[in-house]
Amino acid sequence: MLNKKVTLLLFILLALVQLYVPAKMILRREEIIATGSEYKFETAPVDPYDPFRGRYITLNFQETRVPVTDLSDWKEGDVVYAVLGTDEEGLAIFTEALKSPPDTSQDYLTTQVEYIVEHDEKGLVLMLPFNRYYMEEFKAPAAEQAYRDAANSTGREASALVMIKEGEAVLKDVLIDDVPIREYVEKAADDQP
Amino acid sequence: MSLRKDLQELREAEVISAEIEERIQQYYQQKSDASGSRLFVVFGILGAILVGLGIILIIAHNWDEFPRSVKTIFAFLPLLLGQAIGIFTLLKRNDSIAWREGSAVFLFFAIGGSISLVSQIYNIPGNLSSFFFTWMLLALPLVYLLRSSVTSLLYIIGSTYYAVQMSYWSYITPPAYLYWLLLLLIIPYYYRLYRTHPDSNYTYFHDLLLPLSVIICLGTVANGYGVLLIIAYMSLFGIYYLVGNSWSTNQKGQRTPYTYYGSLGTVVLLLIMSYDSIWEEIRQESLVFTELLSTTEFWVTVVLSIIAGGLLLRYVRKHSISKLPPIAPVFAVFILIYIIGLYSAVAVILVNILILVVGLAITRKGARQDHLGILNYGLLIIAALVLCRFFDERLSFILRGTLFVLVGIGFFLANYQMLKKRKAHAE
Repeated sequence: MLNKKVTLLLFILLALVQLYVPAKMILRREEIIATGSEYKFETAPVDPYDPFRGRYITLNFQETRVPVTDLSDWKEGDVVYAVLGTDEEGLAIFTEALKSPPDTSQDYLTTQVEYIVEHDEKGLVLMLPFNRYYMEEFKAPAAEQAYRDAANSTGREASALVMIKEGEAVLKDVLIDDVPIREYVEKAADDQP
Repeated sequence: MSLRKDLQELREAEVISAEIEERIQQYYQQKSDASGSRLFVVFGILGAILVGLGIILIIAHNWDEFPRSVKTIFAFLPLLLGQAIGIFTLLKRNDSIAWREGSAVFLFFAIGGSISLVSQIYNIPGNLSSFFFTWMLLALPLVYLLRSSVTSLLYIIGSTYYAVQMSYWSYITPPAYLYWLLLLLIIPYYYRLYRTHPDSNYTYFHDLLLPLSVIICLGTVANGYGVLLIIAYMSLFGIYYLVGNSWSTNQKGQRTPYTYYGSLGTVVLLLIMSYDSIWEEIRQESLVFTELLSTTEFWVTVVLSIIAGGLLLRYVRKHSISKLPPIAPVFAVFILIYIIGLYSAVAVILVNILILVVGLAITRKGARQDHLGILNYGLLIIAALVLCRFFDERLSFILRGTLFVLVGIGFFLANYQMLKKRKAHAE
């Protein structure tokens, strides 16, 4: 049996590690939010549920494909460094898939290949590691509903505001017609008779 | 209090002396004290589990009125509280099982709550499996430092969930090799528990959960050569059965769960293999030996089979071959059948015969030992085999019908004979 002092010392050490892990997660995200570059991804929200972490909305992105000329290098689940660019409307697109991080100062996203498209436009479909947006439990279903109603009547656009730095991404906000989704839901609730 | 009355009566009738009466009373007094503190432990643990789960649910509500900074502070509150209780326990209540278990369990959930709140604040999708992996690693030392068996059980459940989430339920399913590391890290605790408290409920729950976790997760090593794992599973059940049998029984005379897992697992897997469709798949799989050498499945199968074989040899040397229980050598016979099955369709018939032989052997053992449970277990195996064939469209109705009638009569006769024998003994 360990003696009491050693046990206590080890326990304090453990407590510090237990605090360090979430703290590290927080600091890294804060850094990305503060100093990363901002991209806007076109998307559509749906509302699932996670028993441990609560309600969130899943984002269905429009642009998850990156064109590749030689598909033989890639298989499902491969790590990919996808270089980012923007289209005419200012929405984010992927321009190039690399096996290692680009040397230049280009922004890129580190992620995995979800599946490979072999016909038509050849390319890789990427998993985007920012497809969850957590919301308060009563608001998440309302958010999805509000978006659906809006999309049906007027064809509104939803987009995700993502901060990117050194391959890592933080989802900052979800916008519907350039209004943050939280405000949008509250407004929609107020408008209801 | 009827005990006191009874004792008084016995003393007055001069069956026991006054001294013995007092000693008996003292004994029961102490016993009720012990059960009182046991109740305290149970409530302590239950309370900690409920509060911990409650905190996780409250966190999951996602309070988005609060700004990010406030929510971030909240992420650390339960963790800090749990750690403070942990330190208090180590300093002041180190001898109390209730405090140690309760504080460790609370801290266990606080860790999960804290990480999930951070993922929530920053919208980290981070798949559920990596979330569980981090959680389990951060919680593991609590098991050792606070000597908490309940945390150890929660840890085993969490590690299992990690492997299942990663290898069975995800879109891309890599083998969860790190599960085996997590499992390895808890073994020293399990071993110590087994050595120091072989008869405690905690040990029993570990006996129940740990082998079950391995059964669930063995399939996660599959990565293209899944059919090989059938042998691995059969050998694993063989190991369980032999281990369970050589530890035989604990002091209370109960069989360990290992025996049950081994026996039931073997029978169920044999019944699954009594269908031809799986064997067709095995025959179609082109197994090239040189390719096999580089797969994990192959080596896992080889290692498990060698261990099972070693245990079987030891058992035979110790007890003689005639005392070998019918289930014990099944895995070895099955390996032979599997090899035959790679080339020939006769394997499925051999499996059916094997089940029948095992069923009959167990029935006979039950009859010899005058044990209705074992007797009916054997008959049940035969009945299950018949039931499987009942739904097998390839056999004719007459054959199936006859089989059913015969097994039904067998059931009746075997039980009747044994009860008659017992009656005769009694008279």
